[in-house]
Amino acid sequence: MNISRIKAIAFKEWREILRDRLFFTMAFVVPVMTLLVLGYGLSLDVEHIPFSVIDYDKSAMSRDYLHRFIDSRYFDFQGEAAGERELDDLLADSRIRFAIIVPPRFQEQLLSGRPVAVQSLIDGVFPYRTQVSKGYVAAINANFSAELLSRHIAQTRGIREEQAAALVAPVRLESRYLYNQAIRSRWSMSSGLIMLVLMFAPPFLTALGVVRERENGSIYNIYASTVSRGEFILGKLLPYIAISALNILILWWLVIELFGAPFKGSLLFFFPASLIFVVCTTGIGLLVSLLVRTQAAAALLTMVITFIPAMLFSGLLVPVESMDRATQIEAHLFPAVYYLNIVWGSFLKGLGWSALWGNVMSLLIYAAIIWTISLLGFHKRPRK
Amino acid sequence: MMGRRLLLWLDRMVAMTAKELKQLSRDPVLLIVIVYFFTVDIYVAGSGIQMDLKQAAIVVMDHDHSAASRDLIYRFRSPYFDLKGEISSEHEARELLDRGDVLAVLDIPADFQRDLMRGKSISVQMQVDASNATLGTLATTYAGQIVARFGQEQAEERLGLTEAQLQAVPVIQDRHRVYYNPNQTDPWFMSISELLTVITMLSLMLPAAAAVREKERGTIEQLAVSPLTPAQILFPKVLAMGMIILLGTAVSLFLVILPAFHLPIKGSLVLFFIVTALYVFATSGLGLFIATLSHNLGQVMMLVILIMMPLLLLSGAWTPPEAMPEALRIAMIFSPLSYFIEMGYGILLKGAGVAILWDSMLGLTLLGIVIFSFGVWRFKRQFN
Repeated sequence: MNISRIKAIAFKEWREILRDRLFFTMAFVVPVMTLLVLGYGLSLDVEHIPFSVIDYDKSAMSRDYLHRFIDSRYFDFQGEAAGERELDDLLADSRIRFAIIVPPRFQEQLLSGRPVAVQSLIDGVFPYRTQVSKGYVAAINANFSAELLSRHIAQTRGIREEQAAALVAPVRLESRYLYNQAIRSRWSMSSGLIMLVLMFAPPFLTALGVVRERENGSIYNIYASTVSRGEFILGKLLPYIAISALNILILWWLVIELFGAPFKGSLLFFFPASLIFVVCTTGIGLLVSLLVRTQAAAALLTMVITFIPAMLFSGLLVPVESMDRATQIEAHLFPAVYYLNIVWGSFLKGLGWSALWGNVMSLLIYAAIIWTISLLGFHKRPRK
Repeated sequence: MMGRRLLLWLDRMVAMTAKELKQLSRDPVLLIVIVYFFTVDIYVAGSGIQMDLKQAAIVVMDHDHSAASRDLIYRFRSPYFDLKGEISSEHEARELLDRGDVLAVLDIPADFQRDLMRGKSISVQMQVDASNATLGTLATTYAGQIVARFGQEQAEERLGLTEAQLQAVPVIQDRHRVYYNPNQTDPWFMSISELLTVITMLSLMLPAAAAVREKERGTIEQLAVSPLTPAQILFPKVLAMGMIILLGTAVSLFLVILPAFHLPIKGSLVLFFIVTALYVFATSGLGLFIATLSHNLGQVMMLVILIMMPLLLLSGAWTPPEAMPEALRIAMIFSPLSYFIEMGYGILLKGAGVAILWDSMLGLTLLGIVIFSFGVWRFKRQFN
């Protein structure tokens, strides 16, 4: 290993990156853009659900009932519909996602102590949102029912209403949300996206950079030179690691400033840990570059083996424990799982080295393995 | 005279389209891309993400150890929860939550059973790890339902209500009907969303690749001296790639989505393919624009990613428009994908026809004409 040779190669690579304007833009624009697009685009907060009603009863009680939906911040009232045909059309046109139909004699039935079935129609196109909307409707109905019931029992049994209320609903669940008190999905998503971006952007750049050299044929200069393969790889990849290091800080800053996520941990732990992750993923890019010949193929293969696992098998959307056994093993073959623990631990949980050291060690081992494989796979004399 | 000119024009179109198809068939990278995205990618996306709580790890701190508390605890089980046992201290709870070993800790107060018997109102505490906001929300929703159900059964027992009497109390019975996707089958949503995204990506990439290839190989000079007009050169590229994309869509719909996910197609397939053709034509204008900016296939891919991101953000592919910030909702008017998504879900899942979707079709047509003319104009300028 000769430091000055490594420096020379790193400098050459840096100049090449600067000269290719499109490539340079990609290096900084794509990470930020991914964060913005997915951070804003993949909102999982279910609020402002547009809805419409039909009130066949038009009584004081039906109005009171409907106002629990209208006044809720989860729903966004779009006016009353004339008939059920109109509701169907509104749903089909996505103007509303939910409708509620209060039957005739709603008040009369309830006052005479009989149950009433209330029909609601929910748009099922977005399954997760449907599930959550169903929960909201059930909660509003249950609340209204509990009030009716306790009033009814207070009257029929001659006890006070508070007593009746305790009788009707004896157990309540009180939830405390740790780490993200207002359960803002934007906090989890934006910080989690740092993982996603650092999983695919560094290998993408690296693979393109290395393959470009081969496509241009300029790699033969390297083959013919006195540079050893270790020196070449190290020098070649240093600029990419430096770009990614800068990107770590940019993303970190954007997540805090733009998405308002708290950073409870320490940057002195988070930054080195992120750097190790970037070294891992850069290694993946190097590995890809050994397998393909053209830049186009390199871009595609990188996307396939990094983006999809980072999205699906990292715990970002579905927790690893909820996956079946085989998928769990698959998930642990990618470094994303370990780094996501570090990201969420540092941002939302305020954890440091003492709680997360296991994850850092896993990343270190991962980096060591992948760099060793790449180093062994790279030959200065390509076999015919 | 007119007739002969038309024949000549048609003859050239057919010849050029055939040439494009032949060239594509000789490009292994692009062929792999097309096959991969229309089959494997859509299958993985459709079967990968199931956004529901499954086997979430939970532990309890039971301060009561009574029959009642055990009854409640054992209700936390599959499919939503996985009871991991009991712990005794707050400290231990915090540690498990910090490490992410459990999603929630249930805390049952002392005297749970006694208070229940006396008809006092009790609250059961649950600490939830909300660093993943989605899971935090779902865990609370399901836990709330479990506790409410338990409370209701206890209440019925103590009030001495029989099934018959339950019919004679004033409550709201929740009768919800979920339209379009009654069981919230995630793969239906995910696979359609992915299919529409893949169509977008390929209708950007393939025409751009076809045009750039001429530049890369210098054959563009030959075309320039041929009697063909720029439109006669560009249009066959769009036509050939459009045919390939429609074919791929059919393959993916009939050979992947239908057999694997049992999607019930509600609307007219003819309408769906017409709309897809319209969309491919609209987006390929952007593809031609990409071709004017790049010199090789690698650059095409980078630019496709750069243009795809904002298109996706503004499309409503994952998040419906009502959940987006106001400014983004207005910007969606300029994203062709937003119309396509609306119509794609509308036709395939909702069974909507022209009567409901006419406004989206009109919007896409107008936007398509603008985008396509822009692309052709840019290309012509460079070509001459």
